[in-house]
Amino acid sequence: MSNEKDHLIKMINQIARNNSSAGDDSAVADVVAGHIKKFWSRRMKQQLFELVEQRSERLYPAARMAGERLRSAQVN
Amino acid sequence: MLQHFDPNKDYGTPASLSEKQVTLEIDGIEITVPEGTSVMRAAALADINIPKLCATDNLDAFGSCRLCAVQIEGRRGLPASCTTPAEQGMKVWTQNDKLAKLRRNIMELYISDHPLDCLTCPANGNCELQDMAGAVGLREVRYGFDGENHLDAPKDTSNPYFTFDASKCIVCSRCVRACSDVQGTFALTIDGRGFDSRVVAGQDENFLDSECVSCGACVQACPTATLMENAVIEMGQPEHSVVTTCAYCGVGCSFKAEMKGDKLVRMVPYKGGDANHGHACVKGRFAFGYATHKDRIRAPMIRDTIDQPWKEVSWEEAIGFAARRLKEIQAKYGRESIGGITSSRCTNEETYLVQKLIRAAFGNNNTDTCARVCHSPTGYGLKQTLGESAGTQTFDSVMKADCVLVIGANPTDAHPVFGSLLRRRLREGAQLIVADPRHIDLLDTPHLGDAMHLPLRPGSNVALVNALAHVVVTEGLEDRDFIAARCDDGAYAKWRAFIADARHAPEAVASITGVAAEQIRAAARAYAKAPNAAIYYGLGVTEHSQGSTTVMGIANLALATGNIGREGVGVNPLRGQNNVQGSCDMGSFPHELPGYQHVADPVARGRFEAAWGVTLDDEPGLRIPNMFDAAIAGQFKAMYVQGEDIAQSDPNTQHVEQALRSLECLIVQDIFLNETAKFAHVLLPGSTFLEKNGTFTNAERRINRVRKVMPPVAGKEDWEVTVALANALGYPMAYRHPSEIMDEIASLTPSFAGVSYEKLEQHGSLQWPCNAEHPEGTPIMHVDSFPIGKAQFALTEFVPTDERASRRFPLLLTTGRILSQYNVGAQTRRTANQAWHDEDVLEIHPHDAEERGINDGDWLGISSRAGQTVLRARISERMQPGVVYTTFHHPGSGANVITTDNSDWATNCPEYKVTAVQVEKVTQPSQWQQNFQANHQRQQKFLRDAQPESR
Ligand code: SF4
Ligand code: SF4
Ligand code: SF4
Ligand code: FES
Repeated sequence: MSNEKDHLIKMINQIARNNSSAGDDSAVADVVAGHIKKFWSRRMKQQLFELVEQRSERLYPAARMAGERLRSAQVN
Repeated sequence: MLQHFDPNKDYGTPASLSEKQVTLEIDGIEITVPEGTSVMRAAALADINIPKLCATDNLDAFGSCRLCAVQIEGRRGLPASCTTPAEQGMKVWTQNDKLAKLRRNIMELYISDHPLDCLTCPANGNCELQDMAGAVGLREVRYGFDGENHLDAPKDTSNPYFTFDASKCIVCSRCVRACSDVQGTFALTIDGRGFDSRVVAGQDENFLDSECVSCGACVQACPTATLMENAVIEMGQPEHSVVTTCAYCGVGCSFKAEMKGDKLVRMVPYKGGDANHGHACVKGRFAFGYATHKDRIRAPMIRDTIDQPWKEVSWEEAIGFAARRLKEIQAKYGRESIGGITSSRCTNEETYLVQKLIRAAFGNNNTDTCARVCHSPTGYGLKQTLGESAGTQTFDSVMKADCVLVIGANPTDAHPVFGSLLRRRLREGAQLIVADPRHIDLLDTPHLGDAMHLPLRPGSNVALVNALAHVVVTEGLEDRDFIAARCDDGAYAKWRAFIADARHAPEAVASITGVAAEQIRAAARAYAKAPNAAIYYGLGVTEHSQGSTTVMGIANLALATGNIGREGVGVNPLRGQNNVQGSCDMGSFPHELPGYQHVADPVARGRFEAAWGVTLDDEPGLRIPNMFDAAIAGQFKAMYVQGEDIAQSDPNTQHVEQALRSLECLIVQDIFLNETAKFAHVLLPGSTFLEKNGTFTNAERRINRVRKVMPPVAGKEDWEVTVALANALGYPMAYRHPSEIMDEIASLTPSFAGVSYEKLEQHGSLQWPCNAEHPEGTPIMHVDSFPIGKAQFALTEFVPTDERASRRFPLLLTTGRILSQYNVGAQTRRTANQAWHDEDVLEIHPHDAEERGINDGDWLGISSRAGQTVLRARISERMQPGVVYTTFHHPGSGANVITTDNSDWATNCPEYKVTAVQVEKVTQPSQWQQNFQANHQRQQKFLRDAQPESR
């Protein structure tokens, strides 16, 4: 399982880094969240939410913020 | 009086593109043709066939044989009709006594130095010399046959596919002109003068040792049996032909498959094909022998575990076994525990059915395609910026380009027929800019004008493309009118501020790209100032951790300079496999239904649900690398793989193998026991493109028909297998012919709404979008507007890959392709193309080799963070020092054992093009290679055991 989560962390951080010119963390998080909503599978999103719940330090701030926004959008 | 244009007829000289018409009279018949048309062609268009030998309509007239002489009112002598342009009011006679005598004399001379073995000649029945002797009424040869002649000239049989029998040569130079004008290789010349003149390959070498790339254009052009396909020499002349489409690269050449019964004699490029206009390359023309190779899988096979021998079973049993396993696995592990992979080598209809099977019968969106590992960033990047996941032009459009920027592509090897067209345009004077770590052959185009090579470091594409755009913006080279009219203001303003920043200046990125700032500036100016500038790019752009960013950067560059929406410009992805475009269009990706309609879009999904009679998942499914991860994690248990070899083609082989070993049911449908099939539980025989009906879509969005010329070896076309599996799973599919599948595609996919087999028959091919708005298809995209209204500039920050050279891994490995082999090589390795490339080698710069004491031909151990392999060394100056290069056409080479699982941030397209490695001399194969060989032997034995009566 760790291998898979390692990959997810790497992927989401990479999405955040490659969109860093979108603006501040919040603006980047919007782009990241949009991307994940559109392209990630249910299972990958679920794993991301778990990482967010665990407050994983390995997620970049914009990546974590994106995860939080997606999670709360799903809960609500 | 003009006859309908017939692509099977030779009109003698090429068509004129002039819009001005002239009217002349030939043998009393009035004919109107475009200005610049030859008298010969004008006559042929009216079905008046003037004898000819040195003229053929894919070559400019040469005027050497004089057989085509005509009489023209008011002109002296008897001018050659092939070199005489038709003029307004001209009066021409093609037959009279004087002409007849002249022609007979000419033929007499030819025949006196020609073997008279017509009855046993391979060209018998299909020889222009013979036809002309008949046409001019030759009855005697007064010179006798005893004079000086060439009848003992030796044969050159070095090329595995054709023979050069010089004794039959009439020195018409059609072959020489085909090699230079059509192919652009200039391998042939006429040596000597008068009677001594003869055709010579290279520096008077045999064909195989010369620069000849075996495209076959000379063979096709030869009017005699001098250059002749070995297959025709062995089998005799074909008796019928069927027009179909090449199954190799994304050019999608049309061919006439010339047959004797159900045996394929030869493939002749079809003049009516709009992608290739009668030209081809060594793969499509000659490398079809794999279709009848003894290694073909001829019956379905099953086994419980991958450590067991295969068991040959009936189709019913194999399909039943597969369906039962899939159902059991879903019952045990859940709906999302299975998935499948569609093939970019299969037809649109087959691909469509596989994704339909997954979405409707498996009940999830775990569908992906090998485009994931090649052009998925193209789909993403072009959709974001231009609004459509496809190239913008026709191939022919390049003939109007004044400046051509080639980034990360090697067209003369990977897209040879387009490479030849491009070379023709370069000979006409278009400017060439190549951005590539390697010195590609295009840069050595004979008679090339100015060319620039930007030899950037692997992994720095984004920095380079940004720097080009920076120069455009800061030097005021933008096309302001285009931007104002066609692009989104807000996105443009943001992008302009972003790209104008000094961090993108060529000087600032020189240390990243390794390219001198002045060179980048010069390239940017040339691109921006050309009246028409076009960008062509390949996997050297997409297969990077920033592949999608580069694609968007390319689109930015084209938009900023107004190079979109007309002929001669555009953004042109050169697609790898024959149907990459089609497999993407057909909904192979986990987030998109056919026609790039997102699964979360309720309206689109609703239409599919209504048509398919199921509820569809509204969340994207797993991509290939995610499937592998989930398999290793024990959550993903079964896969249906049609016509793909993920074990060889995907990066980080050991990771892929671990994933495949974790599956409880792997169903592989392929024509051979490929690397993936070694991990399979069900092996379903696939059919080649010769054995089925369907369509392929090439890199110009052109939908071409694939037509069946022989029965499938195991009795089923690939689409029929998917239908059987769906039915066994309890999801009914009832198509009788692929045309019915296309009708369904058209009804659900707006850009295909106007496509049908009937219409394809009428038009030959159609470029999508083809619908009510564009009933005849769309050759050039985005002419008046973009599918998203205004184009969107994208911000393209350069984020270097994590893969960096280090003390331990000081070299950067990049990978590519060569002309004679195709992709994983499963097809071409089983043909005589092996004569050109029978092993993958590691190209290394002399400087790096010397440092390590490496000589040409040494065995080299190559290690990366992912693994090790061993290849032979080839010392080469094509790359900069510090960069090494290999191909991945042979499975035992293990090139992908060393590639890492880094991937594009947006699409997970693997980063094949950058791997940090170390290289050292070794004496034995790597551990992986030894294991590979052992497993290969074992799996081959399992296969043999299943087929007791050896075939
Ligand atoms: S096969 Fe092609 S490359 Fe070779 S000599 Fe003939 S035309 Fe030239
Ligand atoms: S080889 Fe054929 S095409 Fe070439 S000069 Fe001789 S006859 Fe003409
Ligand atoms: S260029 Fe491509 S499509 Fe054309 S013959 Fe060669 S491999 Fe086939
Ligand atoms: S065909 Fe015109 S000169 Fe040969």
